[in-house]
Amino acid sequence: MSVVLRTQLVGVAKRPSRLLLTGLAVLVASFVVYATVLAQQITERSVLNGLSGTPETVDLVVQNGEITTGDLTAIGKMPGVAEAAVRTEAYARTPAGDLIVATDPGSGPLSTVEVTEGRFPTAPGEIAVTPRTVERMGLGIGATTAAQPAEGKPVPLTVVGVLTPREDIGFLAYAPLSTVVQINGFDQLDRVDVRFDGGADAGAVRERIVAQVAGEAAPEVAGGAEVRLSEAREAAAEIDQLFIVVRVFVAVAVAAAVLIAASTFRIVFAQRMRQLALLRAVGAGRGALARALAAEGALTGLVAGVTGVLAALAVGHLIPPLLSAFGVAVSRPGFPLVQAAGTVLLAVLITIVAVLAPALSAARVAPLEALRSAATTGARQGIGVLRAITGLLLAAAAAGIAALVTINLPGPQEQDYDAETMMLAVVGSGLLAYLALIALGPVLVRPVLTIAGWPLRRSGPVGRLAVGGVGGSSRRAAAVSVVVALGVTLIAGVLVGGDSIRVLSERETVAAAPTDFEVRGPNGSTLPAGVAERAAQSADLSRVATYRWIGGAQVGTFTEAAVTDVSAKAVPRLAELDTSAGALTDVAPGRAAIAGYVAEMDGLTLGDPVTVRSNGKEVRVTIAAVLGGEAPLHSQILLDPADLTALGVAAAPTGLLADAAQSGEDGRTKGLRALRTVAAAQPDLGVNVLADQRDQITEALGVLMVIALALIGLTVLIAIVGVGSTTALSVVERVRESGLLRAVGMSRGALHGMLTTESALYGVIGAVLGLLLGVPYAWLAVSAIGLEAPLTLPGWQLAAVFGILVALTALAGVLPARRAARVSPVTALGAD
Amino acid sequence: MQTQSSPVAGRDSLAAVAAVDLVKVYGAGDTAVRALDGVTVGFERGRFTAIMGPSGSGKSTLMHCLAGLDTATSGQVLLGGTDLTSQPDRVLTRARRERIGFVFQSFNLLPQLTAAANITLPLDLAGRKPDAEFHDRLITTLGLAGRLGHLPAELSGGQQQRVALARALVSRPEVVFADEPTGNLDSRSGAEVLGLLRDSAHDLGQTIVMVTHDPVAAAYADRVVLLADGQLAGEIHAPDVAAVTESLRNLAAGR
Ligand SMILES: Nc1ncnc2c1ncn2[C@@H]1O[C@H](COP(=O)(O)OP(=O)(O)OP(=O)(O)O)[C@@H](O)[C@H]1O
Ligand SMILES: [Mg+2]
Repeated sequence: MSVVLRTQLVGVAKRPSRLLLTGLAVLVASFVVYATVLAQQITERSVLNGLSGTPETVDLVVQNGEITTGDLTAIGKMPGVAEAAVRTEAYARTPAGDLIVATDPGSGPLSTVEVTEGRFPTAPGEIAVTPRTVERMGLGIGATTAAQPAEGKPVPLTVVGVLTPREDIGFLAYAPLSTVVQINGFDQLDRVDVRFDGGADAGAVRERIVAQVAGEAAPEVAGGAEVRLSEAREAAAEIDQLFIVVRVFVAVAVAAAVLIAASTFRIVFAQRMRQLALLRAVGAGRGALARALAAEGALTGLVAGVTGVLAALAVGHLIPPLLSAFGVAVSRPGFPLVQAAGTVLLAVLITIVAVLAPALSAARVAPLEALRSAATTGARQGIGVLRAITGLLLAAAAAGIAALVTINLPGPQEQDYDAETMMLAVVGSGLLAYLALIALGPVLVRPVLTIAGWPLRRSGPVGRLAVGGVGGSSRRAAAVSVVVALGVTLIAGVLVGGDSIRVLSERETVAAAPTDFEVRGPNGSTLPAGVAERAAQSADLSRVATYRWIGGAQVGTFTEAAVTDVSAKAVPRLAELDTSAGALTDVAPGRAAIAGYVAEMDGLTLGDPVTVRSNGKEVRVTIAAVLGGEAPLHSQILLDPADLTALGVAAAPTGLLADAAQSGEDGRTKGLRALRTVAAAQPDLGVNVLADQRDQITEALGVLMVIALALIGLTVLIAIVGVGSTTALSVVERVRESGLLRAVGMSRGALHGMLTTESALYGVIGAVLGLLLGVPYAWLAVSAIGLEAPLTLPGWQLAAVFGILVALTALAGVLPARRAARVSPVTALGAD
Repeated sequence: MQTQSSPVAGRDSLAAVAAVDLVKVYGAGDTAVRALDGVTVGFERGRFTAIMGPSGSGKSTLMHCLAGLDTATSGQVLLGGTDLTSQPDRVLTRARRERIGFVFQSFNLLPQLTAAANITLPLDLAGRKPDAEFHDRLITTLGLAGRLGHLPAELSGGQQQRVALARALVSRPEVVFADEPTGNLDSRSGAEVLGLLRDSAHDLGQTIVMVTHDPVAAAYADRVVLLADGQLAGEIHAPDVAAVTESLRNLAAGR
């Protein structure tokens, strides 16, 4: 071992806390990486154990081909076969709504249902339904209904039982096979599950079955275990896809860890400048020095990687027993050794990558540095010319790509738009911009600090010193802030994008589903007389409004347009539609609200006249409102009823909108029943539960946001750890400064306050840079995705992110600051 | 010139700062070191006193205790009549900020602050404004007028030390402590700094206590206090280089 390396390693051994701090980010990164591996194992194992739809007792499955009732009977009678259960279903239209009628043995080892009330149907025309079907379709025990097959007479059905299936979709019934075949109108079975007798010769039975079903479109005959496995695989495939997304974010987190490790090493080496210079002064070569520093980095990576993997293993094996205590059964992960070795290797590699640049620049230290007083080292300002040029080039490239994207943004209703390439370009540009930020960081810190630090500077000497401390070492400040900026950029991007999508989906749901329910006939037909009146009288419905809707019209130059006269006053939710000018309530005779893209196509703005033509007639109206997206009910223009009548449209309404009188699932069910009763006489009237669609969209969006934020949380976690360890390090390394401040009369509390404020300032700078980068890029991405989503600024959410991150970075500095404030000034001044 | 008279009494009204039977023990048990072993000494107001003695004799320790930077094991430190030994950190901090000034051998300045900001640091911390006239006079006397906007890294060692001196003097503290202030300087810069210390004692009435190894530096002082093995070993009034060198040699021989 070279003497240089030995000196370094002795130094490491003397201050293990330093090793831990420099390695902390890498430690967390390896923890995250290995924890992801384990989480995937846990999930897959749990899924394989539980989520296959085929009972374990099934020995053979016949499916995907032509199977008839005759085949089923023949298989059931074969020697060696204990039981053959058919699984097939029919799609039935009933007055109460659409219903899926399926088969099941009802009991025994091959059954997948459990009867909870009444009995399993045995006679033709009997059905058992699921609990949600009872609720939704009003089909309690004893109720009767009829299924309309494609041809022929309706099939009468009577409910004789309630049962719970594997998954209750809300319109599901079980019936004997004969009834299902009758509804389908053809003798074709989806699948037969076979169970063998105890002593049967599996091969022989299988051959007999294959022979039985042989023919033109012979079905596959596969083993039960095989089918179960492939079903589980399918379920797990979705999980695999989820984990691909997770891995992308883990990669971002690892990149953040590299950045942090690099900045921590930079701080450590900068503070050791004198020692390094001394080694150079007594004749250590540059190469030897760089190698020794890199070796120290590799050692740090090794220790951090192993610790991270062990921690992840401990947590991974602790979670399943813990969850089972709460009644949630999940499998334990294994001990994936290859991945463990890979994670440690990754940790060593990223640490070496991180340490390389700081080590090389530290090794360039002039021997003269050793002779200078410590006051002159550690506070280097600005950046070199090469770095500045690199940064500017990166920024120019980012701006260039962004400009290209802006020029090629899609127009309204543009066809053949390649959203994927554009999104890739946006991401690429964002990446370049971030790299530019890393390169130019030290230069950018100052202006941000000048503005953000203004109130602090006025607050008193402690604030002034904190601002001075951060500004005085802009490289260190930049190194920390850039990491915070990465986290803030990602979060801000998700929040802004999510908010745009929320407004977009709200717009679409309001435009398409302004109320809980809609009743309308086939296209163009009008509502029968009395329907609206009866609905308005129902106690379970409120805000009943009728409307007229016609297609095939022309608005300006826009052909095949739809026109409606739904009243914004009668349907209050329409007021939530976003407009770019005017308001929906401004619609009056001669004044209309127009879809944004139609206005844009013809270059129309508020107050312009526009002509609407239909069936040879035309009206001229003034634009009173321009909508962000479509006009209500998927139309292009919203007219006053008088104008629609002037177009020659009959007075009878074509549809009806209504809300449930009471909120919640219960009120919705009651409202639905009331409307079904009102419309009962007309079987071709469709009743749509728009509220369900709305809920689905909102829920799906919410889940997406939570997943995205959780994943980004990984990066933010590492960023916080980075701020914590960098602050801790810079406090440890600047203990002499602290000592001097204490010696000239700074109180313990003030010193503590100053150091905490400094780390909060890192957070402020990072958050400002992150918002400056994240919001515009999110807007660019939202525009480039081609959904015509509006650009929004979720101000409160962003302010909260800003506040929380600054608080977290301040918190990260609290502990080290306390330690520094406790050290006695004499010790601090004597420290090397 | 050397006298073996008893040292100035601790409660002498002339003493700006005094130690009474001061004991400082580092560590415990077998490895315990008695760095100060019952030192009683006073430092008169408006005078420039040097503390000398062999390496390890307890000079720095004595100064740290007198300045409220460190706490003594037993005995008293009297700063203008108040006893510092039993005070909580809050009071010591205040005393350092308002009543005491420091010059160290090295690492005197905060690297990220300009010379001007370093000078006014203790006043800033106390939330006070410097006496503008005195501040300007000090800057001119110390020859720092053109250097105020510079960072410490852009100053020579002597200039840095003069900035530190300005910082110690500008608040007109009761005592200025200097631990080997010329240790890092060449003889010319050293002479400048020492001359400034003497002048501020004589012209401005500033009390100054300085630790040094250098008989030439000690000769600038009004009085030299000698320490050996943590105990007082005599003093010299109106010292000159020869007398100081002589007593130091005697001290070394006597061990
Ligand atoms: N923190 C400490 N822990 C233990 N012993 C200490 C400590 N500081 C000083 N000492 C011991 O106390 C004694 C006096 O030290 P001090 O620093 O006061 O000496 P000094 O006279 O200033 O010496 P020098 O001229 O070399 O600076 C020495 O023996 C030293 O080893
Ligand atoms: Mg000393």
